[in-house]
Amino acid sequence: MSILSRFAAYSDKPALIGVWGACTYGRLAGLVEEAGRALADLRLPGPAAVAVVGGHGPAAAAWLLALEATGHFAVPLSGNPAEHPARLAQVNAQWVVTADGLSWSLLPRIDEASAHPLFLRLKERGSAGLVLFTSGTSGRPKAMVQDFRRLLASYEGRHASRLPVLALLGFDHIGGLNTLFGCLASGSPLVVSASLTPSDVAAAIALHRVAVLPASPTFLNLLLVSGEAETRDLSSLRVITYGTEPMPESLLARLRAAFPRARFIQTFGTSETGITRAESPSQDSTFIRFDDPALEWKVVDDELWLRSRTQIDGYLDADNSRFTPDGWFRTGDRVELGPEGTLRVLGRMGELINVGGEKLMPAEVESVVLAVKGVRDCRVRGEPHALTGQTVVADVVAASSADQEALRAAVRNACRARLARHKVPTRVTFVPAVSGERLKKVR
Amino acid sequence: MTQEEALRLVLRRLAALGRELGRPELETADATTRLFGENASLDSIGLVTLIADLEEDVRVAVGVTVNLADEKAMSRLTSPFRRADLLAAHLAELVRAARP
Repeated sequence: MSILSRFAAYSDKPALIGVWGACTYGRLAGLVEEAGRALADLRLPGPAAVAVVGGHGPAAAAWLLALEATGHFAVPLSGNPAEHPARLAQVNAQWVVTADGLSWSLLPRIDEASAHPLFLRLKERGSAGLVLFTSGTSGRPKAMVQDFRRLLASYEGRHASRLPVLALLGFDHIGGLNTLFGCLASGSPLVVSASLTPSDVAAAIALHRVAVLPASPTFLNLLLVSGEAETRDLSSLRVITYGTEPMPESLLARLRAAFPRARFIQTFGTSETGITRAESPSQDSTFIRFDDPALEWKVVDDELWLRSRTQIDGYLDADNSRFTPDGWFRTGDRVELGPEGTLRVLGRMGELINVGGEKLMPAEVESVVLAVKGVRDCRVRGEPHALTGQTVVADVVAASSADQEALRAAVRNACRARLARHKVPTRVTFVPAVSGERLKKVR
Repeated sequence: MTQEEALRLVLRRLAALGRELGRPELETADATTRLFGENASLDSIGLVTLIADLEEDVRVAVGVTVNLADEKAMSRLTSPFRRADLLAAHLAELVRAARP
């Protein structure tokens, strides 16, 4: 039974709870119909790429579902709006929906339809598309296209649940959408906190008696560091799932001591292959065993390769060499094999930086830093950090006349203005030269 | 480095970060200013930035390398990152341990 057709059975139950109050499944179904009518009124000749800008909320969720139901291509966008124009251009978005709580507005962007072969393939299949972005080595994010209908169908077997779940992972992130669709399929309430600070999240958990918290190890670490786990009543938490970055064993031990009643479950996923069911051999173990009939896996030269039924159709505008001709995806995750078919993620094969579960490629930051006056050259790298897993460090070659203190602030402010928060270098070091070729400043 | 000296360093660095972020309230921070947690001044990236700047200050001023966010700091019952004075005490302790 499709997610939408389940809404009738859940009608009076809360679907999304946030600053807008509680939006029931009945109300959400009404919002989906409203969005569907707005799309019909446009009298589009064929499928269109429609961006949905906002965060987790009833209108944004309704628009995603309406776009899927009517065979369009949905492009959820969140975070720093300065990153949006390039992404809208990349997917040739024809329309932009801006969603905020229960309200939304729809604006035209361009006239011509997206004619990319991947879009055409979905159209021929009579399906709908979902476009998410991932960091690219060139500094330009890559647009990933997947079959939205097949993705939603993968949630159809979910059992009904009443346990409130907290939306912590982003609305433009496969992990966040997995939380959203999983909730909607099972009829459980999704709680959206006022912000993603440990303090607001803890307040929302206490107020709405949240039972399930899907989080990153970094967020869980910050929750402990902030002291919120001691001062708030978080005893409603029954299940804490964690993924998106490696979990240090010492952190897992501290978390188990702080939340003795919660079950800790590791999840595993990539934007390209979707979120996978996995289990740990024991609560104290950071090893996982895949438990998903829709997923095949193997380890090639210490790298994890995956092939799943819900994997993306391809990248819109980048080469697909991370997929083998027979459909295996090279994850770039360096893993070690454990006993009885288990494995553990040790880190990344390449340059990708993972800040609290949010990823970036150095080139993306370097291109912004190099444009700052007084910067001669720069290299960006990840460095281990006990608070956020990794942190972004910019090694800068400064012009001889530069005031280093002012330049450090200018570099970080340029990044704050143009990049998502996790991409801003926390440390800017001044070095006489940087090694290797990547980007060169054009002077 | 005494605790008072460390506190002066923390407050000076908070003020500079406040100017950088356009957050004037950080320029008038005092020992009891909450850094991270409920009603706190910084988000996680802001806190990591403050820590990086302070480590750099210590390297330049005292000539020692300290790691403010190590596993020991993480596992403390009261996190040194909650308040300016707690961070100053943690900093002073690390500098003392790093210097012979």
